[in-house]
Amino acid sequence: MKRKVLSVLLASAMVVSLAACGGEEASTSGESSSVSSAAGTEAAGTEAAGTEAAEEGSGYVLETLNMVVNGTLTATVDAGQAEFEAQWEEAVGEAIGHPIDLQIQQLDHSGYVDAVGRLFAGGDYPDVIIMSADMFKQYAPTGLLWDMAEAYENADFQSHLILPAINENLKDAEGHLYGFAPTYGNGCVTYVKKAWLDAVGIDASTIKTYDDYYNMLLAFHNGDPDGNGVTGDTYGVVAAGFMGNEAPWVNYLPEFWQDAYPALLQDESGVWYDGFQTEETKAALLRLRQAYVDGAIDPETLTASTKIAREKWFSNDQTGSSGVFTYWAGSWYQTLTDNLIKNEVDSELVQLAPIEEVGAYLNREAPVWCIIDDGDGDDSREQAIFDAFIETMMDGGTVQTLWTYGAEDVHWSTKAETFTTNPGTENEKVYEYADGEFHLKQSPNDPNSVWKKNHLDPALVVCSLDNGFADQSDLASEGNKFFTENCVDAPMSPASETYTNESGTIYDAKLAAITSVVVEGGDVEAAMQTYVDTVGSIIDQCLTELNTAE
Amino acid sequence: MSRKKKTVTTSTGVEVRHKPLGLRIKNNIGYYVMFLPVLIFIIIIYYWPMLGIRYAFYDYKPVGEPAFVGFDHFTKMFSTDAFWTAFKNTLELSIMKLIITTFTAVIVSVFLNEMGNLFAKKTLQTIIYLPHFMSWAVVASIFSLFLSPSSTGLVNGLLRDWGILAEDAQNIYFLAEPAWWRPIFYIINIWKETGWGTIIFLATLSGINPELYEAADIDGATRLQKMRYVTLPALANTIITVLILNLAKVMNMFESVFVLYNNAVYSVSDVISTYIYRQTFAIALPNYGYSTAVGLFKSLVGCFLVLVCNWASKKTRGRGIV
Repeated sequence: MKRKVLSVLLASAMVVSLAACGGEEASTSGESSSVSSAAGTEAAGTEAAGTEAAEEGSGYVLETLNMVVNGTLTATVDAGQAEFEAQWEEAVGEAIGHPIDLQIQQLDHSGYVDAVGRLFAGGDYPDVIIMSADMFKQYAPTGLLWDMAEAYENADFQSHLILPAINENLKDAEGHLYGFAPTYGNGCVTYVKKAWLDAVGIDASTIKTYDDYYNMLLAFHNGDPDGNGVTGDTYGVVAAGFMGNEAPWVNYLPEFWQDAYPALLQDESGVWYDGFQTEETKAALLRLRQAYVDGAIDPETLTASTKIAREKWFSNDQTGSSGVFTYWAGSWYQTLTDNLIKNEVDSELVQLAPIEEVGAYLNREAPVWCIIDDGDGDDSREQAIFDAFIETMMDGGTVQTLWTYGAEDVHWSTKAETFTTNPGTENEKVYEYADGEFHLKQSPNDPNSVWKKNHLDPALVVCSLDNGFADQSDLASEGNKFFTENCVDAPMSPASETYTNESGTIYDAKLAAITSVVVEGGDVEAAMQTYVDTVGSIIDQCLTELNTAE
Repeated sequence: MSRKKKTVTTSTGVEVRHKPLGLRIKNNIGYYVMFLPVLIFIIIIYYWPMLGIRYAFYDYKPVGEPAFVGFDHFTKMFSTDAFWTAFKNTLELSIMKLIITTFTAVIVSVFLNEMGNLFAKKTLQTIIYLPHFMSWAVVASIFSLFLSPSSTGLVNGLLRDWGILAEDAQNIYFLAEPAWWRPIFYIINIWKETGWGTIIFLATLSGINPELYEAADIDGATRLQKMRYVTLPALANTIITVLILNLAKVMNMFESVFVLYNNAVYSVSDVISTYIYRQTFAIALPNYGYSTAVGLFKSLVGCFLVLVCNWASKKTRGRGIV
């Protein structure tokens, strides 16, 4: 009898513990957003978030807003995100007339596409999400994203829109607008360490052609630009891959790719073709191969991520580093310079004008904010998200300032203050501001550097900031000006069903061809033939779909 | 008509009547009640997710309803070169790794067993166990630095200093050249897993009857002859058991490859799991149906291997593994 009682008690304990686990899970999932696709999966996220969808006339009371973002939100968890969130909730709550809870889910920047895929695979749909142009092109036709064309046309921010073409160009042939770009795309420019140029006796203004550029790279490799007494332990240029992992694919090594564009693109008459299977691409691969052999390009370019390439470039130990790095324009000009100064590498960077063969740097297609459509046929929830998120982001005042510069008295302030960066070093700099003077503060996660911006670059934004707050460093302003004077728009990314399904296979085949030529020294024609044998039929199918759609 | 009574034979050879199931449950109701939550737990945690297998026959993307496509994904899979490359690599890498690490562990175990100084033996054992406890991400970072093709790479530097690499020769990109990747992969696996693999062999060695060695001494056997004729035969059964048990897991290779491979060496390094990973997560709008189909195929092959191993185990050890 005792044995039976004991067994019943033990079994009951296990059942209770299982039920408790399940109960906790249920309660947790109840707190998370789970917005459905238009094709109808689950209930609306805001309902799943435990908020009551109350009708107030045609309105919708949005109490929670779930946002998924990549590293472009620089107010990270360790850099004042909590304060940004609190101030956003206060300002937006005031603007929309009721409290709102902002839930920020910031995913790893370099693995963002993977992370979003995993998120969606788990049925965890946010309310708003940022997407690169390439991602956006593939998600736009799926029905997951809300068509915000009408909301955009009726938005209050239209009155102070300074770059209307950016979002007009995002509309599809039927006029649908599935994403909103708050800024134009920006792009990369080529930076050169001034100290290295001086060490090898080259004047940056003389770099006009590919030969000039290549000779500079060779000088950096064969000379001793870092002054450690050893020649040959440095490289010309480093990048994150010989070809980027998203459009515009060539922007980290434009001098080698020149007029080649290794992706599906349109010719002047609008016909789609494969830019990878062109003579220009073959020539680019041979240039890369030569640079790889000559040590003009850091061999680790093959496997380096952007973070690794960047940190290797401005590392305190310059052995194995490179003199040239092509990276984002504008505020990154300041950030890279700050890091070189902090690591006592160099105090000055030179922006290299596009060489003749390149002509102009590429302005990428802008990343966009998308609203997830719950597919219930009623736009009130999506409109409420638009009003709370996108409309306020471009309000020209408090909320746009939050997105542009961050939280008040955390990232920026108008109060009188004095602070010093790099105290006690030769790079010590004292900043002094009077009361009422708008200024950026020390970075919350790095007191030796001044905060630069939050999510929106003030120089790229499509709506003007009307409160007069402006504190962009001279370098960042100079960088933006330099880029806009030297850029053209990148080719439009393709969108077709086959391309969506097979983009991974196509990308792998391209990388295989590139590495076989550049790293292994394989024959370029043979590599191209292998590429055609592997994905030629897929490419043909993509082109047929794209050209038929046109 | 007489009903035939079912009987069972106990371990002592006594033949007893088989009681009906209902009666057995009633008599042991306590145990069955205790087992019930476990059964439910197993069904929910292990078997319920298996219903996802059906998506191998559907187009299933992050958006939209799954659409039935029959065997389309399998047709695509079997006609894709990258899949067959991954399948071949999975078998080759796993089996080679298994053989190499097992036999290295045997050799190290035998030498450790021969060591007379207990302190030195224990110290060495501890040192060679340590790499097992390092995550593959850390191991990959360490070896990437050592094997770097840039001027800071330790191995390339040593090769150059020792004159093995000529002055004008390019540094070797060990982790990006197909000819080098597999040997390096095996070396890293040996470094990481050999120590751990020695545990089971050392346990077997400690169980060898010392009288066998004494008898060999009396017969005038040398140290090498004792290893050859006493130690290794005693280990043979354990070696076969380890090989058989690990053979069932050959399709599961992922992490060690994932952290060490790159696009330059897909031809020799891409395995089924990394292929599935890329098909699922490296594209903006993946088709989970296709990755499920590849995963299902991998599971079926794995299942087949388990059955083969079970059969082999029965043959060699007299009992199966499942």
